[in-house]
Amino acid sequence: MKMAENQQWEPKIVAFCCNWCSYGGADTAGMGRFQQPASLRIIRVMCSGRIDPLHVFNAFLEGADAVLVTGCHLGDCHYVNGNYKTQVRYDFMEDMVRELGLEPERLHLSWISASEGEKFANFVREVTEQVRKLGPSTLKPEGVN
Amino acid sequence: MVEVGDKVIGYSTDPGVRNKGASGGLVTAILAAALEKGLVEEVVVLKHINEYEAIPIITSDVEDVLASAGSMHTVPVNLAKYAVGKNVAMPGKPCDIRGVIEQAKRNEVNIDNTYLIGLNCGGTMYPVQTQEMLVNMYDIDPEDVTGENIEKGNLIFRTKSGEEKGISIDELEEAGYGRRLSCRFCDVKIPVNADLACGNWGVIGELTGNATFCEVMNEKGVRLLENAIEAGYIEIEPASEKAIAIREKVNNVMLSMGEKWSEKVFTEIPDKERTQYYMEQFADCINCGACKEVCPACTCGEDSKCTMYHNLEDNYRMSMFHMVRLMHLSDSCIGCGQCTDVCPADIPVTTIFRRFADKSQKKYNYKAGMTLERPPFLEVMPR
Repeated sequence: MKMAENQQWEPKIVAFCCNWCSYGGADTAGMGRFQQPASLRIIRVMCSGRIDPLHVFNAFLEGADAVLVTGCHLGDCHYVNGNYKTQVRYDFMEDMVRELGLEPERLHLSWISASEGEKFANFVREVTEQVRKLGPSTLKPEGVN
Repeated sequence: MVEVGDKVIGYSTDPGVRNKGASGGLVTAILAAALEKGLVEEVVVLKHINEYEAIPIITSDVEDVLASAGSMHTVPVNLAKYAVGKNVAMPGKPCDIRGVIEQAKRNEVNIDNTYLIGLNCGGTMYPVQTQEMLVNMYDIDPEDVTGENIEKGNLIFRTKSGEEKGISIDELEEAGYGRRLSCRFCDVKIPVNADLACGNWGVIGELTGNATFCEVMNEKGVRLLENAIEAGYIEIEPASEKAIAIREKVNNVMLSMGEKWSEKVFTEIPDKERTQYYMEQFADCINCGACKEVCPACTCGEDSKCTMYHNLEDNYRMSMFHMVRLMHLSDSCIGCGQCTDVCPADIPVTTIFRRFADKSQKKYNYKAGMTLERPPFLEVMPR
């Protein structure tokens, strides 16, 4: 990749991964050596239900171009129904992202299990492609690349 | 006796209250009876200062309650927070009642011993602007005014000489006066969320202006009415079919007026320009926190997320303060307009919040402050 050349813009993507499934998925993606772009910053949380809309919007305000919310498949939550709570919250976040004028492609929700390394890698690749087409987020503070 | 769903027309038996209070003083009499007979410990009422200004007080003195009689359209204050943590009876506009119910959902108000008497509301006005309007539009000296009323889409002022002058609200609003913006696009005119829904809409015939139309919404409303009847404070009679129909008609006229305004106010902003729009609006923010302080739907207090996690240096663009509040209010905003009123930087806060809240609340078929139903954001399972 030609990153160093005059500091060309590359998408910055923040992914919130739940400890029990999607973080394992990210791990599996690495172990399986699936190619994925270097645009991702993973934040591990114990459960996707812990992800507060606050975290997501703070990521946008700090300069993220896209945010991924990931967790266990519905029904597989380590804490019984944490991911259902994520879904309820996600619906609100989605509405708000749209209302703020951000493209809906900048916020994603995906259920990825620990064994789905390939799915994780593909997901990251797809989102990075979409965001690269959209350009930097309009919520990005000045001076942040 | 009285039953839930009854629609009655009533008035105070005390001639003094009947003459002083707007529309027969029914509400004043019910409040006084609730206080005297020990149904509640205190009552929230407005203490008159002059024709245009009043301050909300919490009182256990019946004299204060009787002195508060009369309608005031120029006191745009939300009473919801006065009911917090007390055993009170409270008269209020639909938005006051919505505020109390939102507080009750957040365990700040014990709804079982809070009695709510809703008043039909066509809108409120700013006191200073109203006085200016009286001079410019009505040609009346503000000092001469003894009462005001909204009837059939007209705003009517009564002067000391007994003269009445009315101008249509549409005309006033075109001239830049009239109701507050949030009242114009409000979509609850009859307070069906209160225990009793009272007002002068639907009072016809010889009783016009001397009685109140009252709908009993729930068991607490029954208790309030029966208490006042037993104490001999009020007299009621069933409302006629015609009266009910007229009330409905007035309500529909007001609602369709509100719809027209909301189309006018909430113009669609193109997707691409929206971030810019919100940033420009919030750029004037000075982080005083007044909008949060007055909000009847906020109960976090000082340790709230919106103030805790935001960066002061960032405040002038989009900050966590705005983000969290936009998120927080998208399912609980009642559109009372308090935040716009107190904003020292003149940011149209209510309009911005309603842009988020309208969409979310419609999507979940939920209207904040109307029932004790849990807000959709607090649900565990997706609806």
